[in-house]
Amino acid sequence: MSAVISAKNLSKKYGKQAAIDGIDFEIPAGRIVGLIGPNGSGKTTTLKAALGLIPFEGELRVMGLDPRTQRDALMQDVCFIADVAILPRWLKVRDAIDFVAGIHPRFDRTRAERYIANTRLKPEMKVKQMSKGMIVQLHLALVMAIDAKLLVLDEPTLGLDILYRKQFYQNLLEDYFDENKTIIITTHQVEEVEHILTDLMFIRDGKIVLAASMDEVGERYVEVMVPADKVNAANALQPIDQRTVFGKSVMLFDGVSRAQLSALGETRNPSVADLFVATMKGTYA
Amino acid sequence: MNTMKWLLRREFWEHKGGFVWAPLIAAAIMVVLVAGVVGYGVSTDKFGGDSVTIRVEGKEVHRTQMATLATGHSRAQMAEVAANNYIAAGAPIFIVLPVVAFFYCLAALYDDRRDRSILFWKSLPVSDTATVFSKLLTALVLAPAITIGIASAAAFLILLLAGIAASAQGVNLFAPVLSNINLYLSPVYLLAMIPVYVLWALPTAGWLLLVSSWARSKVFLWAVGVPLIVAVLLKWMDYMLALYGATIHADWIINNVVEVLLNGLIPGTWFIDGGTTLPINGGQGVNMLSLLGASWGSLARPDLWAGVAGGVAMIAAAIRLRRWRDEG
Repeated sequence: MSAVISAKNLSKKYGKQAAIDGIDFEIPAGRIVGLIGPNGSGKTTTLKAALGLIPFEGELRVMGLDPRTQRDALMQDVCFIADVAILPRWLKVRDAIDFVAGIHPRFDRTRAERYIANTRLKPEMKVKQMSKGMIVQLHLALVMAIDAKLLVLDEPTLGLDILYRKQFYQNLLEDYFDENKTIIITTHQVEEVEHILTDLMFIRDGKIVLAASMDEVGERYVEVMVPADKVNAANALQPIDQRTVFGKSVMLFDGVSRAQLSALGETRNPSVADLFVATMKGTYA
Repeated sequence: MNTMKWLLRREFWEHKGGFVWAPLIAAAIMVVLVAGVVGYGVSTDKFGGDSVTIRVEGKEVHRTQMATLATGHSRAQMAEVAANNYIAAGAPIFIVLPVVAFFYCLAALYDDRRDRSILFWKSLPVSDTATVFSKLLTALVLAPAITIGIASAAAFLILLLAGIAASAQGVNLFAPVLSNINLYLSPVYLLAMIPVYVLWALPTAGWLLLVSSWARSKVFLWAVGVPLIVAVLLKWMDYMLALYGATIHADWIINNVVEVLLNGLIPGTWFIDGGTTLPINGGQGVNMLSLLGASWGSLARPDLWAGVAGGVAMIAAAIRLRRWRDEG
């Protein structure tokens, strides 16, 4: 299976400041990738480059196409939600469905209507009458009815309450995702997406600092609850992060064997959020 | 082709107010006003009886009825003029068109950048060229066609009201007017002028779309302010240079460039600004067919094609900006 996205030496400069600094990565088909980084790390810039919204340097292929010169063809197979609540205020639910059905060859109207029927949206409702959560429901209904090969979600649930957020990811996973589709998500609410991700990509200062499948992450990173008497022994193994919970040290190790660590104390898999915090230490310092 | 149909429908959903309701309301006001005057006149018998009075120094010397004045030949002439020129009664509605089209073009590529919904439109398989083209088509073809439809209907209603007023004076012109072929051809002649209008309006539409896709804010200020400031600067330079007996022909530039950028959306500019003269012949008023002929004749003017070239270049620039502008 060839890569859905492949980047070689991808760079984007704003003035002298490099937003993306010569990165390489490949995203194979059928994955759900979490692209995670602090504010201003280059996540959105990377996605914009892939969607052909901005010029860039280096090589970037999305489904074999160059987003700079072949954007019109690319958008047949790619869909994105770039931000929450960006539907035009005058748009009616019914008109939105008619419009996308009219111009998108891969749009399945009955799917969109079925999804809308499960919400409080009404056909005559205008976007300006909707809450932020309802706007996202409408947007998701439109996007999920498009049989795109790649779906890009840039902070799709920002500013929504937990009910909408949970429902959003549940719908995505149950009704949309299959082995022929690829989803890329950026979000700050890491803990809400970590259980649906298959791959993880950490980005910091325009560089990719971690790119691995969730399985690999589970093997590489181990968190250990170290009792006070074994702290010195544990420190000798060079933990990448350390914090104290209820008087016990919780240490995070990268690439140390689990057997060796279980001698030091209780081991477990770290959450993506903890891993993120450990990896991004000192970003804003 | 199907995509274009939906893009145009999209524009219509968003701008129904400006393109349909505004001319419709203007038309309704006109018809109601005329109907009120005619209704009042007929009901109070102001039109009837001895309606033509000739006074000399306040003393009445002659008093007669309209009906006795308007006899055979002059009736036929009145009917001819009415059937040929009734459409002019719809003229006030055409004032609405350039105003609406001006602000539409300014907002066309700016509003969706301001509210960021451009990111939604750009997530769909529609090229930026098609998007910009749909806006151009809406402003220069659809909007004038709708205006012509509404203005013709309003003018026809006013003609009928005038006919009622005339019959109240005993001059029944319904038969000769309604049987005059020009009555029905006048709206068609107007529609046939749209291609000429498109070409003359292209520089203004191009300029406004360019500002609309370029400016980060204050589109109106940019679109109007830049040409005006340039005009003032040119005038000032000319004034200074005049001291040394030189000139940069500021007036010529202002007339031919600045005005073309701002006034092109006004229908019939090709008659206003020299070159093409309005064909008026005494007895019959303006003949619509010769008006159409003169309009198409303006296609021979080189200043038109210079404007078209400029307009096309600005539209191409607007498309390019739309494609690459980073909307953050």
